[in-house]
Amino acid sequence: MIEYIIKLKRKTSNLFNDGWVWRMAWRDARHNFSRLFLFVASLITGIAAVVALDSLNNSLQNDIDRNAKELLGADYVINTNHKFEPELVAAFDSTKVEQASQADMASMVLFLNNNQSRLIRLVAFDGPFPFYGRLETQPADAYERMKSGRFAMLDASLASQYEVSSGDSLRIGNIVFKVAGEVKRLPGGGGILTTFTPSIYISMSELDSTGLVQYGSRVTYKRFFKTDSEAQAEKLVEDFRPLVRKFGHSYETVEGRREGLGEGFNAIYRFFSLLAFLALILGCIGVASSVHIYAREKRDEVAVLRCMGSTGWQAFNIYFIQIFFLGVIGSVVGAFLGAGIQQVIPVVFSDMLPLEVSFSISWVSIIQGVVLGTLVSVLFSMLPLIAVRFVPPLTVLRSDFESVRKFSKSRLLAMVLIGLFPLLFAAYQTHSLRMGGMFFLGLAGALGLLTLVAIGLLYLVRKFFPANAAFVWRHAMSNLYRPNNQTRMLMVSIGLGAFIIATLNIVEKSLLSQVEFTGQENQSNTILFDIQPSQKDGVIKLMNDNHLDVKQVVPIITCRISEINGRTVDQIQKDTTDRIRNWALTREYRVTYRDTLTGSEELLKEYKKNDLVVKYPAPKLQSRKLQGKVWEKLTDKNIEYYPGREIGDSVQVELAKSIDSVYVTISEGMTDELQVTVGDTIVFDVQGIPVKVLISGIRKVDWPKDPPNFIFVFPTGVLENAPQIFVATTRIDDQQVANRFQQQLVTLYPNVSLIDLRLILSTINELFDKLGLVVRFLALFSIITGLVVLAGAVINSKFVRMKENVLLRTIGARSRHITGITLIEYAYLGLFSALTGLILSLGGGWLLTKFFFEITFAFDWVELLIITGGVVLLTMVIGWWNSRDVINTPPLQILRKEG
Amino acid sequence: MSQTVLQAEGLTKTYRSGANSLTVLDSVSFSVTQGETLSIIGPSGSGKTTLLGLCAGLDVPSSGIISLMGFKLNAMSEDDRAHIRNQYVGFVFQNFQLLQTLTALENVMVPLELRGEKNVSAKAKDLLSRVGLAERMHHYPTQLSGGEQQRVAMARAFITDPKILFADEPTGNLDEENSGHVTDLLFTLNKQQGTTLILVTHNLELAQKTERILRMRGGKLVDQLSKAAL
Repeated sequence: MIEYIIKLKRKTSNLFNDGWVWRMAWRDARHNFSRLFLFVASLITGIAAVVALDSLNNSLQNDIDRNAKELLGADYVINTNHKFEPELVAAFDSTKVEQASQADMASMVLFLNNNQSRLIRLVAFDGPFPFYGRLETQPADAYERMKSGRFAMLDASLASQYEVSSGDSLRIGNIVFKVAGEVKRLPGGGGILTTFTPSIYISMSELDSTGLVQYGSRVTYKRFFKTDSEAQAEKLVEDFRPLVRKFGHSYETVEGRREGLGEGFNAIYRFFSLLAFLALILGCIGVASSVHIYAREKRDEVAVLRCMGSTGWQAFNIYFIQIFFLGVIGSVVGAFLGAGIQQVIPVVFSDMLPLEVSFSISWVSIIQGVVLGTLVSVLFSMLPLIAVRFVPPLTVLRSDFESVRKFSKSRLLAMVLIGLFPLLFAAYQTHSLRMGGMFFLGLAGALGLLTLVAIGLLYLVRKFFPANAAFVWRHAMSNLYRPNNQTRMLMVSIGLGAFIIATLNIVEKSLLSQVEFTGQENQSNTILFDIQPSQKDGVIKLMNDNHLDVKQVVPIITCRISEINGRTVDQIQKDTTDRIRNWALTREYRVTYRDTLTGSEELLKEYKKNDLVVKYPAPKLQSRKLQGKVWEKLTDKNIEYYPGREIGDSVQVELAKSIDSVYVTISEGMTDELQVTVGDTIVFDVQGIPVKVLISGIRKVDWPKDPPNFIFVFPTGVLENAPQIFVATTRIDDQQVANRFQQQLVTLYPNVSLIDLRLILSTINELFDKLGLVVRFLALFSIITGLVVLAGAVINSKFVRMKENVLLRTIGARSRHITGITLIEYAYLGLFSALTGLILSLGGGWLLTKFFFEITFAFDWVELLIITGGVVLLTMVIGWWNSRDVINTPPLQILRKEG
Repeated sequence: MSQTVLQAEGLTKTYRSGANSLTVLDSVSFSVTQGETLSIIGPSGSGKTTLLGLCAGLDVPSSGIISLMGFKLNAMSEDDRAHIRNQYVGFVFQNFQLLQTLTALENVMVPLELRGEKNVSAKAKDLLSRVGLAERMHHYPTQLSGGEQQRVAMARAFITDPKILFADEPTGNLDEENSGHVTDLLFTLNKQQGTTLILVTHNLELAQKTERILRMRGGKLVDQLSKAAL
């Protein structure tokens, strides 16, 4: 038989000149807006998130550019952690530019109005700082009063926390200051650091009289310069560069601060971009899902229109017009909502930002949001709407009739564009195709893994579900495997939300467990530092008097490096090929001495040098000198000291050469900064006396655990007579004891500072609460998207469910059975979704803690169970809510429909 | 001699599912002339609805030829068949199949609007008056009774002055009173407009009102009876 195709010559209309589709679009839409609620809601939330984050980024970037000078407060600043050398001071004095000074250090303060004390950052000013920006105080003349004598200003957060106001007194070191006022904003200050250590400000002329600056005190000195022009600033930088480098100081310029902040904000920008990307993708899923539901609902109407002669494209255009215009409206609403949210975010995060973010509307972000939203609504509704084109007219006669899916160029094009969209959007957001590609792959990987976990979980549940379980439980379970139930997609979608929340929870728990001392017996939670040798016995006695267990008393000696492997610091600095960091070379090191490891240290037992494994026995980490006896053992390759027999001659010779060295260990990581390894030599300048040491081992240090920890540890018998200070640690569980002890300590030993780790813990908690807000919002958004998909799936399967329920009712099932089956089905779905997310979050959390944060993996089962319970409950509520008429429809109504 | 408006030759419809196939219509041939009334009867599963779908161009046969108003439907694309339906065919369904978001008047106007005709409301209102719904034309389907909905559906079917009208169990969802009213209306409009009428029904009483009856069983056409023979 010859097959032929007849093509009719008929008048065809496109979207713009077919008045009928526009009329039909309006007639159909005027009663359908509520049906498109899910679509608009998804779009509004997605676009609001994108616009909020994008306009926040724009505002931050603009503010950084605009306020760069205010961020520094000057044109040029030199920083150091000890007093400026006379040579440098002479150089400062020889310049004609305006200057100001600042010194800051940690100190205890005792508020005399309530006898409370705490660790603060003491900042002393001299000169007309700030040169740029405004130091906002309350009252306005507080800064002038502070400069005039024994007056102090304090950060507003500190003042409100300890209920201190102008006129009150506080004691710092040996001096009592009157409070001149509160500091609301300080150029170059503020930001997240003030959350940890709030500041008190005094005049530089009063600093020495406090008696706080003693041997071992960690004081940072700054010199600010104001120049008349950028050229003058550049000249100043060049003039001072040799001296600054020689003494190992650091400096900052306006441009440097701007770039530094820009880089810092780049990380935040990327994080926000990632959040925006995720929010939009979730919104896209919501859009696609809700339009899919809408198109399914319209199937019968389309079939009728097709019977009456409408073409597939005409039917498509009717709903496309609706989606397009609602998409534009939703995008505009979402964009303005996002702009509104952006005004609130800086208020919530004001404590964490170093600058005041202006309340401005970013029209660029709003326009981008509207365009993006329209694009998303068109693109992600395309596939379900294209399906409308292929609704067979025969559906009017047979509702279950499904046409054979045909190849469609428009469908293929839509799929390609949808696949490309996340990649292009991520690249646009991050301004980098590579970064965009990584976002895209990350998301695809996460969704792929979630899908795999979901498939595995469903397989296992089906395989091991007890065959003799009660009917209701079995039936609810089998419902999950109903064709077109979208169970897997729901598990991935809701599971993604659970994954985000649980991963955040795990990371939070792991980070907190690093500083969580309260739950661990015998761990120190209070550190006393800057104890002078003459005060050591008194402080220990005070601790004993308060029945506090003295955990550690650690000596600290300050020193500097003068040579590494026979080359002086000066030579190393001049060698441009050297990769040793200047800051590591010139910094002041605080070292201690002991012969053993502490609980937070682990000796890296193997270390390769010249391809030979050199092993050092743990008990002799640091030894004063190689005695003759040891030397003999070395030449004999004695296995007790050098069990690694791989030691070669070259190493032996090298070790032998350094026979009169002091053996010290170094912390892991610093070997890279200083480019040293086991067997290398360093000469330290310990208060003017050169001490040559040999690196005998590398310690892995768990820094937050059991502080204080050190980069270099000397052996005993070397530094005992050097000038030193002490750090003592103890554990205080009772807040009243803590308060009493702090008061006594501040009164008797005002220069001794105390760190209450519990206070840090609560600060970190607070910080997490704020950061968590953003991430939790996103996770919640993800879950809501999942629930939109769930609502859609329930609506999609409504008729199948109704028929099932009618069948169950006719064979005797009661309403409670039907309700039970429905609720249990959604409980299963919620549980499996949560488990999918949790399984992945445990894996992801472990990877994040191990490789990104490099901390111990920890999680709280109870909190993970609460997350699971929450997801289950939400799923049950949404499932039940959308199934009410399925549960309550009388059987006869369905049977009649069927008939 | 009357013009043939519908010609079916060896119509066969087979559905495949994997390796299995099910023939629901097997070599059915018949023709219908302009203005004729014909009913298709038979038990459930006999293939009468499938036959109606094929004749109206809602589906294509697996083999055989279906010719409507001289157009070979099985050689046409779906959109071309839709165009033929719009030009020559009217439908009345058992479940009325009104567009729920449109008023009665708007429902009736749709087929003419689809043709691109202007000022169609006058004709739609006239038809609605003729079916006794002048006072209900701005009501939505949910605000109308079953009988009223079916009358709107008939007005919609006749507004294009179709050459051929397909009715699938037009009284199947109506009570006796409404059923009689709709049947009368159907045949009155058919006569007034000279439309060919093809009915699918279980209702023998209704079938007997047509000039010819096709009896289906097991997918085959087993009888063609004229009114005189009945």
